[in-house]
Amino acid sequence: MPDQQPRRHHPQPLGRPRALRLGVAGPVGTGKSSVLATLCRELAGELAMAVVTNDIYTDEDARFLRSAGVLPTERIRAVETGACPHTAIRDDVSANLDAVEDLEEEFGPLDLVLVESGGDNLTATFSPALADAQLFCIDVAGGGDVARKGGPGITGADLLIVNKTDLAPHVGVDVDTMVADARSARDGLPVLALSQHDPASIIELADWVRSVLARHRDGTHIPTDPGPMAPHSHAHHDS
Amino acid sequence: MPGLAPLLLGDGRLPVGAYTYSAGLEPAVAAGLTREHVPALLRARLRTAAVTEAAAAVLALRAAVENPVDYGPVQRALAARTPTAPLREASAALGRGVHRLARRLAPDHPAVTALSAVRPRPLRPVALGALGAVMKVSEEDLAHGVVYDELQTVTSAALKLLPGDPLDTVAWILAAEPDATAAVNEALAVRTPAQLPVRTPLLTEQWALEHARRERRLFLA
Repeated sequence: MPDQQPRRHHPQPLGRPRALRLGVAGPVGTGKSSVLATLCRELAGELAMAVVTNDIYTDEDARFLRSAGVLPTERIRAVETGACPHTAIRDDVSANLDAVEDLEEEFGPLDLVLVESGGDNLTATFSPALADAQLFCIDVAGGGDVARKGGPGITGADLLIVNKTDLAPHVGVDVDTMVADARSARDGLPVLALSQHDPASIIELADWVRSVLARHRDGTHIPTDPGPMAPHSHAHHDS
Repeated sequence: MPGLAPLLLGDGRLPVGAYTYSAGLEPAVAAGLTREHVPALLRARLRTAAVTEAAAAVLALRAAVENPVDYGPVQRALAARTPTAPLREASAALGRGVHRLARRLAPDHPAVTALSAVRPRPLRPVALGALGAVMKVSEEDLAHGVVYDELQTVTSAALKLLPGDPLDTVAWILAAEPDATAAVNEALAVRTPAQLPVRTPLLTEQWALEHARRERRLFLA
């Protein structure tokens, strides 16, 4: 039986807040694991990091990340969600909080803990009880109209990623229109058109995380809840 | 009309991580258990693991109202009756969620502060005893909550693992009433940690060991 005693060999330095907990949500297949791998690749050299994954089947995403070799494998934890990935990030975050706290105790002090939601639908977003900030991932292959459809992740996540922009010509999607749709749904919150083949977009992603971390540390970042429903969508959905 | 606390204890929506647990169903399904066998599995759980769990929770509740509070004896007695490491770990993981809730409700309550002294971590029935003290539930209500939760955990997991009509699961639970009542009565009759029944269901232990080595799990255990 592994030692389950709380270990506090590395107390947080005085005056420094605990690690920023950054959630990554979005529908199945939009590239959440790739975004995580990219963040680890870009940031693990300068930040102490760890990752929690929530795939429907325990360890699919964790194995992908471990095999990507972007972070020491013991810093990547998979959490069983009983086939309820949305519950694990919103209604009952116990299992994820346990994993985050364990990683902080074992490897702390950490700067950044990434929590990857199991792929769910457009309404699944993180509770502020688990994530300080969250990015929501959609992709061009899911169709150019996804951003227009809205939903709390699209309208309210701290960052919206429109992923796989390199595929746009192959799936008949105009990236500029999709990004413009997203911006108009988000009241000024940032949108990032991302591609693994576009180094500038990757730098922009890493810089956004650095900026949130800086605001987390100086106390100016206030976690906001995108909510389970888009505020302006009730009239359409309830009728 | 009971108060709200006993109802909360038995509510699967209580946010303490219970949805990650199948009470042995997923390992059993992997070993070949089919939908027709779920009622039999429920009866088996009620005569074995559920009695030990409910009795341990009641013992912990009694310990929680002593001065000083010492969960050591019941924690050790329960750990000794849970020989399979993955099941102890699952119980500790679930206990952690209950502990977090108890801390949130009453961080300075002696029943809650004493939980932090339990090593390696409080098993779920021990944490439930502390929560029961905080919520002021009776021994009988606590035992009922544990037993009902066992039934609800298996049947809820069955909806994911052995899909069928969700209404069946309600009928299964109601049909288990005589065994559930017997389990509660047996649990309440246990007076000391030494008397805690040793009801290790051997196949469950074996399946739990196999489950822990398996990839692509939905549930903790």
